Amino acid sequence: MAQVSLLIGFTLILLGLYGALTNRDILRMIVSFTIADAGVNVVLVSVGYMAHRTAPILDSAVPAGQAAARIIDPVPQVLVLTAIVIGLGVTALMLAYAYRLFRLRGSLDISQFMDLKW
Amino acid sequence: MIRNALIGLMLFILGSAFLTLTMGFEPATELNRTAAYYATHAQEEVGAQNVVTAVLITWRGLDTLGEVTVLFLTAAIVSLVLSRSKAPKGASGSGFLPSGELLTTGTKMLLPLIALLGAYVMANGHLTPGGGFQGGAILASGALLMLLADPSRRFGHKIIHRVESASGLAFVGLGLLGMLFAGGFLDNKLLPLGQFGALFSAGIIPIVSVLIGLKVGAEFASILESLEETEDA
Amino acid sequence: MVSSILILAIGLGTAFGLGLLNRRRAVLALGLTLGALGLMAAMAVGWLIVLAQGAAPVEIYTAGAEPPFAINLRMGLMEAGAITLITLTGLLAVLALRTALTRMGRGSMAVVLVLIMALSGLVMTRDVFNLFVFLELMAISTGGLALLSKDIRAIAAGFKYLIISQLVTILLLVGIIFTYHATGSLNIDDIPETAMGFSGLGLALFLILIAVVLELKPFPANGWALDVYTAAHPGFSAVFSAASGTAMLVVADKLVKAAGPDWFAMFTLLGLISFIGANIVALRQDNDRRLLGYSSVGQLGLLLAVIGQQDVLGEGYLYVAGGLVLSHAVAKAGLFWMSIMVKARGLSDWAAIRVRPPLVIAFATFLAMLTGLPPFPGFYAKWELAQVLATTDRLPILAAILIGTLIEAVYLFRWFGMAMKRETDTPLGPKQIDCMVVLITLAAAFGLGALWGDLSENGNLFATVPMLAALFFLALEPMPAKLKNGLAIMALVYWFAAHAGVYDPMRLIFLLVMILGGAVILLASFNEDGRRVGFYPPAMLMYAGLALLLEAQSTFEFFAAWEVMTLGSYFLILRGKQSEPHALSYMIFSLGGAFVLLSGFALAADGVTPFPLSALSLVPEQVAPWVFALLAVGFMTKTASVGVHIWLPGAHAEAETDVSPMVSGILLKAGLYGLVVLLLAMGRQSLHGVDLVNVLAWIGAISAFVGAVLAVFQEDAKRLLAYSSISQMGYALFGLALMNHLGWLLAVMFVINHYVYKSMLFLAVGGVYKRTHTKLMYKMGGLITLMPFTFVSVLVGIIAMSGVPPLSGFGGRWIFYNAILETDLRLPLVLIFMSGPVGFLYLFRLIHTIFLGQLKDENHQIKEAPIWLLVPQMIFVAFLIGFAIVPGLVLQRVDRFLGTVFGDQPLIWHGRAVESAFGNWNPVAIMVVIVVIFVTLFGILIAKNHDAVKVKQFNIVFSAERPYRPETTHFAWNFFAPYRRAMGFMEMPLVTRFWGGVSEALSGTAEFTRKLYSGNGQTYAVQVILFVVTVYLIALGGVA
Repeated sequence: MAQVSLLIGFTLILLGLYGALTNRDILRMIVSFTIADAGVNVVLVSVGYMAHRTAPILDSAVPAGQAAARIIDPVPQVLVLTAIVIGLGVTALMLAYAYRLFRLRGSLDISQFMDLKW
Repeated sequence: MIRNALIGLMLFILGSAFLTLTMGFEPATELNRTAAYYATHAQEEVGAQNVVTAVLITWRGLDTLGEVTVLFLTAAIVSLVLSRSKAPKGASGSGFLPSGELLTTGTKMLLPLIALLGAYVMANGHLTPGGGFQGGAILASGALLMLLADPSRRFGHKIIHRVESASGLAFVGLGLLGMLFAGGFLDNKLLPLGQFGALFSAGIIPIVSVLIGLKVGAEFASILESLEETEDA
Repeated sequence: MVSSILILAIGLGTAFGLGLLNRRRAVLALGLTLGALGLMAAMAVGWLIVLAQGAAPVEIYTAGAEPPFAINLRMGLMEAGAITLITLTGLLAVLALRTALTRMGRGSMAVVLVLIMALSGLVMTRDVFNLFVFLELMAISTGGLALLSKDIRAIAAGFKYLIISQLVTILLLVGIIFTYHATGSLNIDDIPETAMGFSGLGLALFLILIAVVLELKPFPANGWALDVYTAAHPGFSAVFSAASGTAMLVVADKLVKAAGPDWFAMFTLLGLISFIGANIVALRQDNDRRLLGYSSVGQLGLLLAVIGQQDVLGEGYLYVAGGLVLSHAVAKAGLFWMSIMVKARGLSDWAAIRVRPPLVIAFATFLAMLTGLPPFPGFYAKWELAQVLATTDRLPILAAILIGTLIEAVYLFRWFGMAMKRETDTPLGPKQIDCMVVLITLAAAFGLGALWGDLSENGNLFATVPMLAALFFLALEPMPAKLKNGLAIMALVYWFAAHAGVYDPMRLIFLLVMILGGAVILLASFNEDGRRVGFYPPAMLMYAGLALLLEAQSTFEFFAAWEVMTLGSYFLILRGKQSEPHALSYMIFSLGGAFVLLSGFALAADGVTPFPLSALSLVPEQVAPWVFALLAVGFMTKTASVGVHIWLPGAHAEAETDVSPMVSGILLKAGLYGLVVLLLAMGRQSLHGVDLVNVLAWIGAISAFVGAVLAVFQEDAKRLLAYSSISQMGYALFGLALMNHLGWLLAVMFVINHYVYKSMLFLAVGGVYKRTHTKLMYKMGGLITLMPFTFVSVLVGIIAMSGVPPLSGFGGRWIFYNAILETDLRLPLVLIFMSGPVGFLYLFRLIHTIFLGQLKDENHQIKEAPIWLLVPQMIFVAFLIGFAIVPGLVLQRVDRFLGTVFGDQPLIWHGRAVESAFGNWNPVAIMVVIVVIFVTLFGILIAKNHDAVKVKQFNIVFSAERPYRPETTHFAWNFFAPYRRAMGFMEMPLVTRFWGGVSEALSGTAEFTRKLYSGNGQTYAVQVILFVVTVYLIALGGVA
């Protein structure tokens, strides 16, 4: 089960990367990166998954005493939460940049922005 | 074409690396020592029902502070990026047609509910799934709705910035107080843990959650506003 | 000390708090930002002091729990040093960025604060995921701060940077989560030592480590970083290069330490590729900031390699890595900040800084620091590194590092030459604060140099009197030149007097020539008026190097002195009007030679520190020939032996009038001194059955002959003298390589004679040049009546030099013939014999073409050379005559000393006469005979003078037709055309062509390689992935 979701995550990463590396349109690149980010997040949570266990919340269903045997690993979930927020920040920033770049040239083709080279 | 094939080949190799990772992956059957520690100590040390929140805000609080800072940074930079390309006056928002009766009225109805839900999610982060980030995002969706309903609307810049700064400062301040009066930076035991499972329990977690929520909401609102101000299509 | 987490809290708190300020209070916000950074820096410095005094590293726990359950930080010596560097860089950067920051408002200041905070966090944290968070903070704030630039291209650069950081994020997160899965912990200290593997932890660690390497901008996957360097505000680029680079290095270090020594090789390899690759590409760069970007990439590569070598560096690791990091960071930051004031982007636009001497000093200091020259930390670090690498048989790595450094020196010093020699239309935009920032950095550079010297177990250059004296002259710059000159002479004479009594005769000779001789030449400098800014510090630096060279007891002291001398003389040579390319080639050859020396010394020492020079004789047999060969090549670069001679003619000929004699008469002797030390200690060595000393003899003979032939065909008087130096040094080298008593005595004679007559001739020709404004001999003629004193000195000079009686040159020849008759090196002997008459050919021209014949019309009004140029010449004339009559005064002592070395006494001194196995030499008698003959002949000539017919200068030619270029018909033009037909093949610039080919090949590679950097952000991303995949395959190949 975990392997299936891992594979899905990795596939998303590769698809996202392929999109980001082959689409010249900046917006498409950004979207591709969000797909890859999503893939990374899927990979993160998949690693924390454990069969036949429940969410790491110690309510009446999972008394604190049995927690260690009943809940799944909370750490990947924490990490994924942070990773999502960070990914969101980077995406917002890239979009803002994309806007500025568009205002600069009237185009979103990445090959239009090659003034700096060599 | 060659380029795409090359990229394909590269990603294939990268994919094979990922594949070996997947194939070699054996899901854990027992919690590892870190997770086990969290599971067994969440109640007595942090007092939060939601172990994820306990880890997020207390044990990995520094990460969370960094995470909030990422949003803060993003908001600041987006505003820097976009402030330099403001659309000419008049072309912005104000020139748009009103968004229609349905949206405007719907927004008026939904906003209080959204705010309420946001507040609830924030305040109950230590008990149920949710917390500052989620609550903040919900609050920000309210802000987005408002902008959609009335594109010419401006939030008070000052208020947003004050909320943003004050909540951030308070977060850092709580961390420092933890150093002074408890076991270290961002130590939860600055306040009594209270009764396990109650709303006012789990030390400083609810406070931090609310601070995070406010900050996240403010950051999102600020980002949205920066984006909105450039509207010139 | 207060908890170091406060460093983070203050940065973050202030960043958040700035939002509470009124939007218009930008200045207040700037003040707060500065205050916060100052406070952070103060804490870091406090920690640094505490930890440097031996306190144990401190662990900081957060959240009241122990690691790995909560995030912990560590403050150790390395961390404290890095954070001090980061916060101070941030502080100065905010000053440098003040205008941009106030324009953009408090938000931008918050971003700076967060960046510095994040970098400090990166350094301290012990948690991988926390590392990731700080890394993202760094990436995002870098993306934002790229916008501070007014250059609109910065937006595209920032976007490219964000694309790459997305890739890094993906790799890093996948790596982190699988590491967590494998170890059950996110703490770095819980990562067990693991080798690269196909799956599991090995692969996860690979992903983490490669992500960190990518953040260090490895060549060739680094186009994005270069674009940031080019377009960003330089105030920020300094942070990007110095602070971010340092933080990432610390991260790389702690991760690889955890992952274990199996990863060191990967780091070393990637680092070296980056170091050499980036430096080669930089050769073709003409944008200053991009050049600095390439250099940064290179330096980070070097440091990555050093991180990879920590297994052998052991306890010295922090010292080496720290020295290199600090040199890189301080110099690079300083240069970026200077580029704020330089308003145009070409390399030669740095000519603008010439109006501010302190900035020139700063520029020179930073370049020297980057190149690892003394007295800066990089020098000590490089020395230490070389020792260790040689001891552990990692010579290829050492070679790669030295080659990379040399290539870096090429473009850095070419840049300096352009700044000193070219003109620019764009004036400097000096603001006081910018200057202050640069000067603070400069002070830091010297402070660190002193500190590293103090920590060195080999001794501190700043604790030596000559070095302090040289620095003192830096402070004297505003004084008039004549005062400084007097002080300089006094200093040299004092040094001579203080040491003359203690040295053995061999060293005494060199002391005499280098220090007292230097003082005599400096008399000529009284000729200069004004302040002569930029002359005395380098001159005194060179003399300091020479003085220290003679003082040196250990290989380190010797090498340090060698580099100091090289640095000083480079600046000195660069002062000449046309000397830009020549000074550069001098510097490159000298540095190359120095690096060969460094390798030789390191190989010899085998880890012994400090290694006494005298212990060279104890080097084990299997390495001794190699040590000998390396050292000999290094020294021969200085004496300009054939093959590595091409720097000399230009460097000596284009230098200033009083500099030419210094670099020719004095500096060349340093190479001979090195050879003397080497041969005294190591004696004969043979490699694969070849007697290396015989090889030296051959090289000496060929140099003597080829140098003389080349001198014959020169039209430029100073070039002629320069080529003749190659020849003369060849003689001396040959003499030393004979390895017998008389050969050495000959070499000593040459040391003295060459100094005297070469200095004298250069001063004389310099005087002529001052009056005629040309160095081309066919444009002169008939100056004998107008410049009689100069004529006398040239006459005496060439008599002495050509080795005819009665002057001291003859003594040299006499000893020489005695010496070679004792050896069996027949073939080189013939060459040496032949170069004698060839020498006549060119020396003759000096008298004939310059002083005899008819005066040119435009030269009728000229006067005798300035008095201060004549004073030293007359001293030399007197000395030559005296030395000719009583050579024993000096030689006898050396002779006795050599007797103790070689255990024989072939010369027998009878009063003023000398007797050898083959004959005797009575200087006084010879003098008398010659004077009698001369007076007689002179009398006859004067008596016959009325028979002479005066001929107009061009009258033969004009009788028939009007030549297109009249000067080509002058009898002195192409004077030796017949010989040229016979021996012209020797003039073929084979060596020049060889070195030209090397440089063409390098620059061709650079031109080809830099096309990689297409400017397309997507292509850069492809390159990054390709880089990762390639390294992955290679690493796997290594595993399998």
